[in-house]
Order: sequence, then C-alpha cells, then structure tokens
Amino acid sequence: MKNFSIIILVVLGLLTISSVFVINEGERGIVFQFSKIKRDSDGEMRIYEPGLHFKIPMIERIKKIDARIQTLDGAAARFVTAEKKDVLVDSYVKWKIVDFSTFYVRTAGGDINNARALLTQKVNNGLRTEFGRRTIQQIVSGDRDSLMEEAMISAQSSKADLGIEVVDVRVKRINLPTEVSDSIFKRMRADRHAVAKEHRSQGMEKAQVIEATVNAKVTVMKATAKKNAFTIRGEGDALAAKVYADAYSKDAEFFGFVRSLEAYENSFNSKSDVLIVKPDSDFFHYLKDVKSK
Amino acid sequence: MAWNEPGKNDNDPWKNKGGRDQGPPDLDEFLKDLGNKFGGIFGGKKSGKSGGSNFSSIGAGIIVVIAVVVWAVSGFYTIKEAQRGVVLQFGEFNGMVEPGIHWQPTFIENVIPVDVQTTRDLARRGDMLTQDENLVLVEMQVQYRIVNAREYLFSVTNADQSLEQAFDSAIRYVVGHSKMDEVLTSGREQVRQSVWAELEKVIESYKLGIIIADVNFKDARPPEQVKDAFDDAIAAKEDEERFVLEAQGYALSEEPKARGIAKAIEQEAIAYKEQIVLDAEGQVAKFEKLLPEYQAAPEVTRQRLYLSTMENVYSNTSKVMVDVDGGNNMMYIPLDKIMQNQSKAVQQNSRDLTPVKQSSTETSPNSTVNSTTGRTDRYGRGGN
Repeated sequence: MKNFSIIILVVLGLLTISSVFVINEGERGIVFQFSKIKRDSDGEMRIYEPGLHFKIPMIERIKKIDARIQTLDGAAARFVTAEKKDVLVDSYVKWKIVDFSTFYVRTAGGDINNARALLTQKVNNGLRTEFGRRTIQQIVSGDRDSLMEEAMISAQSSKADLGIEVVDVRVKRINLPTEVSDSIFKRMRADRHAVAKEHRSQGMEKAQVIEATVNAKVTVMKATAKKNAFTIRGEGDALAAKVYADAYSKDAEFFGFVRSLEAYENSFNSKSDVLIVKPDSDFFHYLKDVKSK
Repeated sequence: MAWNEPGKNDNDPWKNKGGRDQGPPDLDEFLKDLGNKFGGIFGGKKSGKSGGSNFSSIGAGIIVVIAVVVWAVSGFYTIKEAQRGVVLQFGEFNGMVEPGIHWQPTFIENVIPVDVQTTRDLARRGDMLTQDENLVLVEMQVQYRIVNAREYLFSVTNADQSLEQAFDSAIRYVVGHSKMDEVLTSGREQVRQSVWAELEKVIESYKLGIIIADVNFKDARPPEQVKDAFDDAIAAKEDEERFVLEAQGYALSEEPKARGIAKAIEQEAIAYKEQIVLDAEGQVAKFEKLLPEYQAAPEVTRQRLYLSTMENVYSNTSKVMVDVDGGNNMMYIPLDKIMQNQSKAVQQNSRDLTPVKQSSTETSPNSTVNSTTGRTDRYGRGGN
C-alpha cells in the first residue's frame, strides 16, 4: 500500500513535471504535436505568452523563440561609393521576430543564426544600393538619415519573408581607405599651414602698424620740441641783443675798444700761435724809444 | 543571507499567495490538486494508523516537514537599497519589489534584482569624419541609469550594448553634420546637446528602460597624423599675439624716451636762453661799471686796458719780432723749429686750456635734463 502510494506519487510528479512548461519574459513558445505545429480552431498558430502552460506529455514538444529586440552587428563590410571608392562601413541592425510561425517555417526551424544570415544579406543589399548612389561626402554628412531609411525599407520586405520586423538600421562608423584618408590628411595639413601663415602675417601687420605709429609720433614729438627750442633760443638771443644794445649804445666807441681787446686775448692764447710782430706798434713803443711819443 | 527564524517555520506560503491573488487560475487549481494529494497521502497515513507503520510514517512526515521548512527558508531574499526586484512568476512578469526583505515561493517565482540608482557610464572614441571632410578624434561619454527594469531586462537582448551601438551611431551622425572647427573648439556644447538629442531619438524605439543622465564631451583632437600642423597653427596664433605685444612693448619704451629727449631739447633751449641773457647782462654790467671810470679818465684807462691785454696776449703766444723795414723777401723764419719747440709745452697745456667763454651755438653734450617731469598715463597714448 505504502510502496504503491510512493510509486504513484513519483509517477504523478514526473507527469506533472513533463506536462507543464514555463515561458520566460522576453520569449514566446510554440507547441508541436508529433512535430506538427499546434494551431487554433481557425488555423492560426498558437503562440504561448510568458507564464506557466500545460502540454500533453510525450506528445507535445515546445520550441521557445526569443521575442526581444535583437542586434545584428557584424563586421564592417566593404562598399563601393558613387566615385568608385571603397569604404568600410560598420552598421548594425535592430530587429525582432513578430510573426513567429513565418519565422519558424522560413528559418529552418527557428534557427536564429539562419535568420541572421538572411537578414544580413538583405540589409547589406539595401546598403550596397544606397552607397553606390552616393559620394563619400553625401554618405558622411549629407543624408545618413535617408540612407538608413532606404536600408530599412529594403529590409522591411523581410517581414513577409521571415516574420522579422526591422526596428532600426544604423551606420556606426565609416572608415575610409588609406589613400582617401591620406589625401584628407594632406588637405588638412595644407589648410592648417595656410591658417598659420595668415596668423603670423596678421601679427606682423599689426606690429608694424603699431611701430610705425609710434615712430611717427616720436618724430613729430622731437621736431616739435626742436621748434620750441629754437623759438626759445631766438627769444634768448633777442633779449641778449637788446641788453647789449641798450648798454653799449651809451658809448659805442669804448665798447668797440673793450670788445676788441677781449677778442685779441681770446684769439691769441696758445703757444702754438706764432705772432710775427714789428716793434713799431704801440705796445713796443718803449722798447725802441724811451721818450714819450 | 542566512535568514532562519524558527518561529516562522510554519509560515504557509499559500496563505501569502492567497492575499496577493495573482496566480493564474490553472496554477491555483494545480496547487490545490497537489495539496489535496499530499493531504490525502498524509491523511491516509493518519487515518490508517496501524502500529507497525507508525515509525516510517513519522519518518516520512519529518522528511516532508524538513523539506517544507527548507523550501520556506530558501524563499527569503533581500533587495538592496539601490535595487528594485523584477518578479517573475513562472517566467511571467509579475510586478516589482522595493528594497528590503521579501519572501518568494521558490520554484514558482524568481526575482531578478536590478540596480536602478547607480549611474553607469560608457565612453566611446574614434576617428570621425566631419562635414567639411576632415577627420577628428572624438571621445564622448554618456551617463545613464536604469528606470524601467522590466524593459531593461526583457525588451532587448543586451541593453547596455544596444546603448553603446546607438551612442556610436549618434556621435558620428552629429560629428558628420558639424564643421571641424565647431567640433574642436567653438561648438562643443552644441555638439554635446545634439548628440544627446540624437541618442535619445535613436534609443526611443528600442525601449531599453534607460534614461540618459548626461552626455559629456571628453575630448576632441585632430588626428595624430596632422597634429604637428595643428600645433603649428596654434603656435602661429600665439606668435601673432607675441608680435603685437612686442610692438606694443617697443611703442611703450620708445614714447617715454622720445618724451625725455623732447623735454631735454626744450630744457637746453631754456637754459641757453637764460645763459645768454645772463651772459649779456654780465657783460653789460661789467661794461657799465667800467664806463664811468673811463669817462672820468679816458686816456689813462684805454692805455691801461690795452697794455694789460697785450701783456696777456704776448705772454701766452710765441712771438717772432722782425725789426726790418719794408719787408725783405729773403727773410727766413724757422717756423717749424719754433713749433716743435712749442709742441711739448702745448701738449702739457692744451688739455686744460678751456675757452674763457662758451661759444654761443654750442650746447654741452652732457647737460643734465630734469627728468622728474610727471609721466603721462602709459595707456592714454595716441590721439595727439
């Protein structure tokens, strides 16, 4: 009795375990009856939402499918632009499964990797077409938005094909081939050199203006000072002349005499002056003759 | 988390559940079923009490009780202050729990704690093309927090990575639509704002359950390959300023000098004027003092003045007296000899022979200038 009850208990436990299944948040489940997908009365496939569900043990099998938004972020792919240049484009695709039955059927039994490969092809085709129509300039800054739009539109067809909805296609980075980036660097250099030259010559220009201005100012200042100086000197000379004239006009003859004497004294005052004199001047009067004149 | 309070051992999980009333109906039924079955078994044991099976039924009972206790205890868990717990009941989202201690029926529910307070950051850098087809090396950082733990966990396969990808895309998009100078210098704030807006736009459809707290512009540099040219351009800017400053320095030094010279010229003129007038006045004073004496005795005074002057003249010069009337052509005077003889004397004397009076037009080279004239304001230059 007791053994029997234990056996029953175990069997019941096993049955229970194999007849319930749990679908986690972010997943959906589909059920197979003898490998055939279980459908509703109206022929729609039954999709199991997250939670606890029952199935018939041994007969029904569960396949869980990821319902979250997934990312396709492959290696950078090489595209040819309108100017026949190669660019390496690293893009990513956000996608999610919306039609689980289609997805399951078209991807060899819900194989995610299979889906990825198909989607990559689709998106890359879209991108290839779009890049082929655009120049590098347009790709980088013109209309990346519309590029993504186009790629999305071309990937949208995957909805009917694969049961996949493309949420977003974005270009992450665009790497230029070496020769293109080299020429860009050359141009940047040239550009900077031009800027540098401009700055230096502007500096020189300003400096010269400042120096010239101050030089002019200085010249004028000195000239003005000289002018004033000459005026003042002239005043001095005039004043002196007046003083002399006022005094000497009292006895011009005597002044002439005194001034001459002073002049003689100042003119002949060194031993290198050689005077050849005759003894008949006034000064030597007594040298020859002791008598008075 | 050893949370083991014996008093709570008989804590019936189902009662707890009943209050919450959240299990799907089929589950409740299943549980009731299970309960009934267990009850039946125990009940059977209890009702069919036969002395022999007493011990084993007690043993079985004890095992069951221990299992229940262990199960009950294992249900306790805590959620840290910064976290929220996402409750999954049989895999299905079933509400959130706040920080603190909680109990869950193991195997039925499980709780994933998610940190919703900590600000995480994510930095991305790389060479990017600008609108004017230059390459710049940009590094930016985004700071974010999780606001919706459910979305964070279940709407995308990897929320953090998705943010990273979106951030990459947003930075390049914005840089691709900006000019190099904007990115490198003036427009950084603008770029930062645009990246923020773009990033929010991109992740909107992904439902990451993340809020962007801040976007930082960490660095923007020209690429290494052209760094020297850029540095040179910056140096050129500095040079430009240096040239100007040097010129200003020159100007500031020249102008005061010139002012000084001008002042000196004027002072010399003033001094000359004073000097020449005073000279004149001196001469005149001397003359006027002499004049009355002369007028009193003209002949004697003239004679005296003449003699004293001539005496000076002849005593200071070399003389050759020629007492020949009518000038003889054949006369030879050895002038050079005389000069030679005199030269020694001249060498000794000539240095300290100073003119009695300064010549009128000469200005002495070392005249001092009164330089304590008040300086005009250094910066108020120009305009006159």
